[in-house]
Amino acid sequence: MSLTFRIILIAVSVWTFIYMGRRIAKSQVLISDAVYWILFSMLLVILSIFPQIVEWLKNLIGIQSSVNCIFLIIIFLLLMKIFSLTIRVSQLDVKIKDMAQRYAVDKKIEEDEQKEKTREKQ
Amino acid sequence: MKVLIIIPAYNEEANIEKVVTNLKEVCPQYDYVVVNDGSKDRTADICRKNGFSLIDNPINLGLSGSFQSGMKYAIRMGYDAAIQIDGDGQHDVAYIPQMVDLMEKEQLDIVIGSRFVSEKKPWTPRMIGSRILSAGIWMTCGKHIKDPTSGMRLYGRKMLTEFATKLNYGPEPDTICYLIRCGAKVKETQVTMRERMGGTSYLNLSRSFWYMLSMTLSIFVIQWFRKRK
Repeated sequence: MSLTFRIILIAVSVWTFIYMGRRIAKSQVLISDAVYWILFSMLLVILSIFPQIVEWLKNLIGIQSSVNCIFLIIIFLLLMKIFSLTIRVSQLDVKIKDMAQRYAVDKKIEEDEQKEKTREKQ
Repeated sequence: MKVLIIIPAYNEEANIEKVVTNLKEVCPQYDYVVVNDGSKDRTADICRKNGFSLIDNPINLGLSGSFQSGMKYAIRMGYDAAIQIDGDGQHDVAYIPQMVDLMEKEQLDIVIGSRFVSEKKPWTPRMIGSRILSAGIWMTCGKHIKDPTSGMRLYGRKMLTEFATKLNYGPEPDTICYLIRCGAKVKETQVTMRERMGGTSYLNLSRSFWYMLSMTLSIFVIQWFRKRK
């Protein structure tokens, strides 16, 4: 890993870290969601400060260059995040639908009951 | 002081009837509300059948979401304080009047029903987690909270609006830590807790792991970004 690449990695990680921090300060993101990105940026900083870890890992899996190994780690982590986000979006979808339908049905029942009452009065 | 007791309940059909009946007997002077968090079992039916005061979340919102439902109700109905107790019968409601007295006497914002004010904390895995969180709170805001994970907390008027409306105000140790740094007056008082009566706990091994990871990160790292008011 070249020094320039390591510096870029650190810079981007620090930026991610600060960006998430400021979003939390502005109450725009849940802490439980920000935790992932905080850990992600910390991991990249650690890997760029101690390239021996990547060196060891790439020999273990049998990849030629460390940079590729870093890419692999990042792609893997991003894929995991996308999978979990897909599942979460699906669940949110179901929840919103469920809530809207419940609201609509409740309202219908309320209206029916009111109609019944006015009819009884007449 | 007008106090509301909030009882979040998720799949607590085995306990909820006993918990609320006991509560009505021991603390008839306080209002209560059960927040059913979209349970898949008969929790809501049991509450309706018995005529219990009930907020029925149409979908599952999680513990902090249910607690927030209760807090929103407390604000709308003009309560001065709200206390959270678990729906599984762990918390002994006989201690509530004591906690309310302490809050009124010392003008506190939060009173925590703590297991370890006068009792010693054991060295079980769960309590080692609790020690780490205690240490974190002490290191970041200089206050000893002996039982940071206690779910039995009384919140005063000022806290109600915060919890009811704002993001990142889950009823968890990291929020307590943040509020202390914002100048909230927090005190603990000794209570005893029982084992849950029936049903299963939400916390399994992997949930506990993620809980500890996000709590420690939140207390040590993330809270520094949050603005002090």
